[in-house]
Amino acid sequence: MSESNTLSVATHVGDDVQRVDDTAKLTGGAMYASDLVFAGMLHAQVKKSPHARAKIVAINTSKAENLPGVHAVLTGKELDYRIGLYVVDKDILAKGAVRHFGEAVAAVAAESLDIASRAVDLIDVEYEVLPPVLSQLDALDESSPLVHPDLGSYDYVKASFSPQPGTNIPNITKIRKGDIDAGFAEAKWIIEREYTNPSVQHVPLETHVAIVEWKAADEVTIWSSAQSPFTLRDLFCRAFKLPYNKVRVIIPHVGGAFGGKAGIHLEPLLACLSRKAGGRPVKFQATREEEFSLLPCRSALTYRIKTGVGADGRITAQKLLMYWDAGAYADYAVNVTRASAYSAAGPYDIPNAWVDAYTIYTNKPWGTAYRGFGHVEFFWGLERHMELVAQVIGMDPLEFRKKNLLKPGSTTLTGERINEHTGNPLKCLEAAAKAINYGRLTPEEEERQARTGRRIGKGIATLHKAPAMPSFTTTAAVIKMNSDGSVVVNIALTEIGQGTATVVTQMAADRLRFPVSRVKVAVERDTDKDPFDWQTVASKGLLLTGNAVIAACDDLLRQAYSDAAQVLRAQTADLDHDAERIFVKQRPEESVTFAALSIGYVYPNGNGIGGPLIGLGRYTAQGLTSLDKETGQGLPALDWTYGAHGVIAEVDPDTGEYKVIKIASAFDVGKVINPGTMRGQCIGGMIQGLGTAECESYIYDDQGRLLNPSLTDNKILTAKDLPEEIECIAVETPQLDGPFGARGVGEHPMISVAPALANAIHDATGAELTHMPVRFEDVWRAIHNKQPIDTWVTKAPADS
Amino acid sequence: MNDIFKYRAPTSRAELFGLLAAHGEGAKILAGGTDLLVDIRSGLVRPELVINLKKVEDFSDLTWSQSEGLTIGPATTVNDLLHDAKVRDCYPLLADCALTIASHQLRNRATVIGNIVHASPGADMAPGLLCLGARVQIASQRGRREVPLKNFFTGVKRTVLRHDEIVEAIIVPPGTAWSRGSYRKLKRIDGHDLALVSVAVTNKDGAVRVGIGSAAPIPLLIEGLTDQDPADTVVAAARDVIRPISDLRCSKEYREYMIEVFVRRSLEEVR
Amino acid sequence: MWMSVEVNGHIYEREVTEHWTLLRFLREDLELTGTKDGCSAGECGACTVMLNGQAVNACMVLAAEVDGATVETIEAEAANGELSEIQAAFARNYGVQCGYCTAGMVMSVRELLRHNPKPTVAEIKEGIEGNLCRCTGYQQIIEAVLDVSGQVTNETKGGLKYV
Ligand SMILES: Cc1cc2nc3c(=O)[nH]c(=O)nc-3n(C[C@H](O)[C@H](O)[C@H](O)COP(=O)(O)OP(=O)(O)OC[C@H]3O[C@@H](n4cnc5c(N)ncnc54)[C@H](O)[C@@H]3O)c2cc1C
Ligand code: FES
Ligand code: FES
Repeated sequence: MSESNTLSVATHVGDDVQRVDDTAKLTGGAMYASDLVFAGMLHAQVKKSPHARAKIVAINTSKAENLPGVHAVLTGKELDYRIGLYVVDKDILAKGAVRHFGEAVAAVAAESLDIASRAVDLIDVEYEVLPPVLSQLDALDESSPLVHPDLGSYDYVKASFSPQPGTNIPNITKIRKGDIDAGFAEAKWIIEREYTNPSVQHVPLETHVAIVEWKAADEVTIWSSAQSPFTLRDLFCRAFKLPYNKVRVIIPHVGGAFGGKAGIHLEPLLACLSRKAGGRPVKFQATREEEFSLLPCRSALTYRIKTGVGADGRITAQKLLMYWDAGAYADYAVNVTRASAYSAAGPYDIPNAWVDAYTIYTNKPWGTAYRGFGHVEFFWGLERHMELVAQVIGMDPLEFRKKNLLKPGSTTLTGERINEHTGNPLKCLEAAAKAINYGRLTPEEEERQARTGRRIGKGIATLHKAPAMPSFTTTAAVIKMNSDGSVVVNIALTEIGQGTATVVTQMAADRLRFPVSRVKVAVERDTDKDPFDWQTVASKGLLLTGNAVIAACDDLLRQAYSDAAQVLRAQTADLDHDAERIFVKQRPEESVTFAALSIGYVYPNGNGIGGPLIGLGRYTAQGLTSLDKETGQGLPALDWTYGAHGVIAEVDPDTGEYKVIKIASAFDVGKVINPGTMRGQCIGGMIQGLGTAECESYIYDDQGRLLNPSLTDNKILTAKDLPEEIECIAVETPQLDGPFGARGVGEHPMISVAPALANAIHDATGAELTHMPVRFEDVWRAIHNKQPIDTWVTKAPADS
Repeated sequence: MNDIFKYRAPTSRAELFGLLAAHGEGAKILAGGTDLLVDIRSGLVRPELVINLKKVEDFSDLTWSQSEGLTIGPATTVNDLLHDAKVRDCYPLLADCALTIASHQLRNRATVIGNIVHASPGADMAPGLLCLGARVQIASQRGRREVPLKNFFTGVKRTVLRHDEIVEAIIVPPGTAWSRGSYRKLKRIDGHDLALVSVAVTNKDGAVRVGIGSAAPIPLLIEGLTDQDPADTVVAAARDVIRPISDLRCSKEYREYMIEVFVRRSLEEVR
Repeated sequence: MWMSVEVNGHIYEREVTEHWTLLRFLREDLELTGTKDGCSAGECGACTVMLNGQAVNACMVLAAEVDGATVETIEAEAANGELSEIQAAFARNYGVQCGYCTAGMVMSVRELLRHNPKPTVAEIKEGIEGNLCRCTGYQQIIEAVLDVSGQVTNETKGGLKYV
């Protein structure tokens, strides 16, 4: 009972334990929000803007209102609420103006989907179309139209963000470390380049869906595919000024989320429709097309990196300028900016650094959290840059990286000192490089190259990420014993596929010394019944919730021991337990079973003592601070997970077509809790990363209309697109405050896959790629020194 | 599917033709539905009546004879074609084209004729069928007519079909059976995707034909070449007829380049 | 239209909405919600079901078309509360994450194994090409298919490596 969290006896932890939620999912029995139907339920549909920027001159809803079966029609005019995570800048329905293609301008709730669709068609909106600002660099121009002329009047989280009224900038994050001028003065080489990536979609297989019921006396119930029930409730209650105990959020099974379902999305609109429809539940599921622009995406980024390198190959200074395209609303983008700023140099030791990271409004669908939280985007530029710098200074890219990696004693951009427990980026990099035989071609590869006429190249890239979360992020777990001695664990971390329920089962079982079969982790979430958790984001779940679960187990055991001490006429110090019983150490035959204690012990004569055994555990991130607004110094990182990828690619030197032969990735996870689920997370992320690298991107016309809101023209990878070989490697440098020594790895596999791929293509062909995604045509252009295509605004018509 | 329409499934030609004649433009034929239902959902097509032709007797026939060649019926699916031993034997090129269409479960529904009638510039069955000299047999209450496939397409998603007509069969003549053929398709990913460009090349006893997709409003056919022609001549002939555009899938320049590469490589393969 | 269809061994006689797809009919009329809607456009395969013994995208079939036909969905895959061999192999090999693609995946694997009891990796990839999965990266699903077709060897057995 006195074990530290790190050293808890592991019998299930570290083993392949089958997922606890798979039977329901395999048989079709798992209920997702999209599967739910309630008596009296209405269906919502939304009228969307065909323009990127326009004044709303008039909306005529009378025909829709008169359609039989329609119960509520809403426009922005009658809704006086504003929503926003960090900067409160978004109306529930556009009021007076639209700010992006696909924005909601009116909504209907009707008895069937068919009627609702027809009603939406009957709504007439008169627009005065205005020229949109589409590129975030244009939006910085003083002459640019303002996406939010009222920015100065918006509420925002003052501790972390700095909106600039009168501009298109809802946040700037600055980091200052060392003396940047001195650092550049010291440098032998100074290399500056710019790297770009477009907006992309999360593409969870289940689109966003919610059902909301707003009954009399403000009793609100929300069923949603959301990731973060408590944050959803928080934002909802703040927008509508409702007491928290009036609003209940229930999260059934979630069909993938990847950050896109964090925060708040459809719920406020459906709530207003329900209220207007007399309290009937109102359901809406986005179509795949709506998922692209009625709901948010990942922000685009332009990253300018200027690096000074000394004669010995050590980086002396780095100036890092990030221009994040928030789209029309700040949402998570301001925090993506902040989290990316303090990670901006990667796992490298940069003595003198200067980061200015801007979040910029444009007239495009807005950016939100997406697996990696900015790191996929900026590591594209950073790890391409490391490759190009190595090329310029004539050093092997692996050596150059190794020379500059963080090591014990180094400090991060915000001044955090790295120690031997932080994790081992070198081990990850070496493992990934070794797995692809980096730096040479094997005889088989030589032979393959000769046979196919395609060129084989190899690339590596490193990565790191810490959870992006408030310094005081907290969570709780409750563990309740049933009368047969089995337990149910309640947490509010949402199971979105990542395997949380399974690893929590393992950790609880080990901490209690029970078999996993006696532990159930409830999969669905309910803010009325589950203990608080901030959000299911940021790869912080395993560490924070794991620690809370351990504390809850300890609390339950403490109660059980106390009751057992009474029953056995012993002191708790004299007691020990196994899976079934608590017993006196020196006389194990004197024992009482957990089942007998579970809901209060009953003596033979009928007297009862004790009571239901319910353990409570809490855990709050330890020792973190806000960042100084001028220098960015402080302690923002709960833990750093390091990793590296190695990629072998085969490129047709004529056409630019390529294929990934192998990807090998290593992550320092501290401790593997479940090899099977960890490998699943990793491979899933690696392939999602490859998709982002190879083909995914929003494409707009010059009026800001999205041209590819579908899986037809926004391709994601299929099984046929897998590399021939996929290797996933675990490094285990225990995290001192991690449960069983573990740290998170949910987002990391996706980060830096793109630059590893581009570095391999570069190695094969010399193609100097600086824009992601890397389509065949981009490689062809780079090889043949052709002008790159203007990538996120094409001038072509939508239909070809 | 938010648009309301009625559905009928006639079991005879007479009934089918009658429905078509009676409903005119408001009626749409449903074969596999993998184009039609997509178009209805997106609002591109708004039929009043959808007529499933798969219940008409003998419409799923796929037959071969030495005199007639291959006859593909209106309900013949892409997978029917792929699984047919005669097709694999006599027209392996058709199987190569068919295998690049969509995914396995879609190929269980998608018909060969639907692919042609939909008349997308990138329809994967078009370049191969063009090279193989396919003919389109058209039928209606008014009777039958036949047009060579190369005269069937009139524009993007437009053909010579009138509203009351159906394609009753596509006939691939025996003269081109056992051609050497090669099909290349440029996609954005390895998984299922529409053709950014596609090229089929056949060589039958020295006569070379080139079919090209996604390079003009309609699928193109180049005839009159021989396997003695230098590659440059064939490429020049292709360059003469293609009119590619830039769009969100790729640029005109890359389309032109890839067509040329594909023509050269496929030519090499069939020589 | 009035129709009769056999779904998972039960005969249903219903008035169907003629412009509805089979997917809507299954999910909304029959309340068989195991089959999922990921796009309604034939792209994702989440809606894959067996129609007269063949895998099809239920969003690309009109409900009215299945008059007189036999349909099988994920709800019939497990018999008597026991997972089928395919389902059990998915579970053993971590072939499920969020689960939204799972029903369609299982249907496609069933179709594949029916034609080809020992598919190669390339054939497995071809077989599930039409089923998008955003979570797993497909690898463990492919391993599940190798497993259920009795082809797991030390070489094909996937696993996490440690350094
Ligand atoms: C996800 C997805 C991927 C796809 N990928 C590809 C691809 O890679 N390559 C490709 O070429 N296509 C692709 N397609 C398009 C489509 O699957 C094919 O064109 C298919 O062959 C169409 O056949 P169908 O039987 O489904 O046509 P339907 O949709 O039934 O019909 C298509 C059109 O032809 C008409 N029609 C059909 N048969 C007749 C007839 N006998 N007489 C008169 N009119 C008729 C219909 O009225 C309709 O207008 C894809 C479609 C989807 C949804
Ligand atoms: S829902 Fe049918 S294929 Fe996506
Ligand atoms: S498990 Fe989530 S989409 Fe496949």
